[in-house]
Amino acid sequence: MKADCRDLEKALRGGDPALLAAVEQHAQACLACRRELEEWRQISAAAPALKKSWDSPELWREIHGMLAAESQRPAPPARSPAPWGFGLRWLPAAAIVALFVVATAGLWVFRNSGGREPLANHWQTKEPLLTEQAVDEVEAAEKNYLASIDKLSKLAEPRLAGATSPILVNYKEKLDVLDSAIVELKASIDQNRFNTHLRKELLAVYGEKQRTLQNLMKEVKS
Amino acid sequence: MESGAVLSRTLTKKEFALSGTEVRTAETEFLEGCRAGSLPTFERLYQAHGGPMKSIALNLLGNVADAEDAVQEAFLKVYRGARRFRGGSSFSTWLYRILVNTCYDLLRKRRRRAEGPLPADVALISGRESDHPLRLSIEVALRRLDFRERTVFLLCEVEGFSHREAAEVLDVNENTSRTLLFRAKKQLQRSLSSAGAFAPVEVS
Repeated sequence: MKADCRDLEKALRGGDPALLAAVEQHAQACLACRRELEEWRQISAAAPALKKSWDSPELWREIHGMLAAESQRPAPPARSPAPWGFGLRWLPAAAIVALFVVATAGLWVFRNSGGREPLANHWQTKEPLLTEQAVDEVEAAEKNYLASIDKLSKLAEPRLAGATSPILVNYKEKLDVLDSAIVELKASIDQNRFNTHLRKELLAVYGEKQRTLQNLMKEVKS
Repeated sequence: MESGAVLSRTLTKKEFALSGTEVRTAETEFLEGCRAGSLPTFERLYQAHGGPMKSIALNLLGNVADAEDAVQEAFLKVYRGARRFRGGSSFSTWLYRILVNTCYDLLRKRRRRAEGPLPADVALISGRESDHPLRLSIEVALRRLDFRERTVFLLCEVEGFSHREAAEVLDVNENTSRTLLFRAKKQLQRSLSSAGAFAPVEVS
């Protein structure tokens, strides 16, 4: 296999040892490529020195204590039949509170919907938590987006890697912002997989990334 | 590097596992023990992965106190979430994913060390290996990288994760992991080159 300066970047991306070997062969006669390869190697050679190691004799004890305390925490109480003897005493007051809450919530929903939106639709669209089945469906939709985005990213990557024109640089920056938003949303979703709002936002960001990549490819072709 | 390389190496040190099959067995034992809330299993998990977790957290967060807080918080999240773990990735990479997300959350909340001078702890605690003249320059330049690029660099180049493992930690595919590492190294090269940090390359 023969290689020249144009193959350097592809070789540095990894995954093709034969190409890297060919580029190394080429670099023996090309100072620019030799310098690039050598600097790349110096970074890799220095990287293991960034590994940190220090004694923290108290850390496991603290973690153990925290986990032990966590294991002692009572599980959420299981629902048991209502203690009627106790509940009856509070029934009139509870009924008044419940009536007030229902009336207030109804008024709030009616006002926010401008009096036009049916109540059933309102709860369907504003539901704060997803069911297990809905989460599976949303995750399937996310996978579809990811598959599409991966394909587009592979096409766009070579164009963006050496981007110098302002429009390509803008696209690159926008994609970086979207990637950061995706990481942030995923981190939040890891805390609560059933949060509808976060899931919708993540899908919206995926959609935006897909559109951005499509527009980028159109831009490159035109 | 082969898939499971870090896992295998870490466990070998602790005499837990040697071959791929044994790694999988250890993984299953970790998963089952953690799901059952077994504290001895958590202790073995800490012995096997505590070192790399602390190292990654310190390189991401910049000081020992925050790094230890992040490791502690990650273990608590694993304890609480092990029963819900669905097995989409290996249990160990899930552990590192929780750690990286915890570090990201801490950085986002504190909004302090993204730019500016190198925090003292990172600079002072040298590597386990013998020190390298480029170490400080890389540590300074790393702080200017995007979080994902920095994380992939730390996982693959510093801690020796394979791209498959790093991809599982970041919930991306292997190609994306390769691309992130390429971008990270390219930016580091630019920064180090403009700072004149590299050893000169022989002309002849």
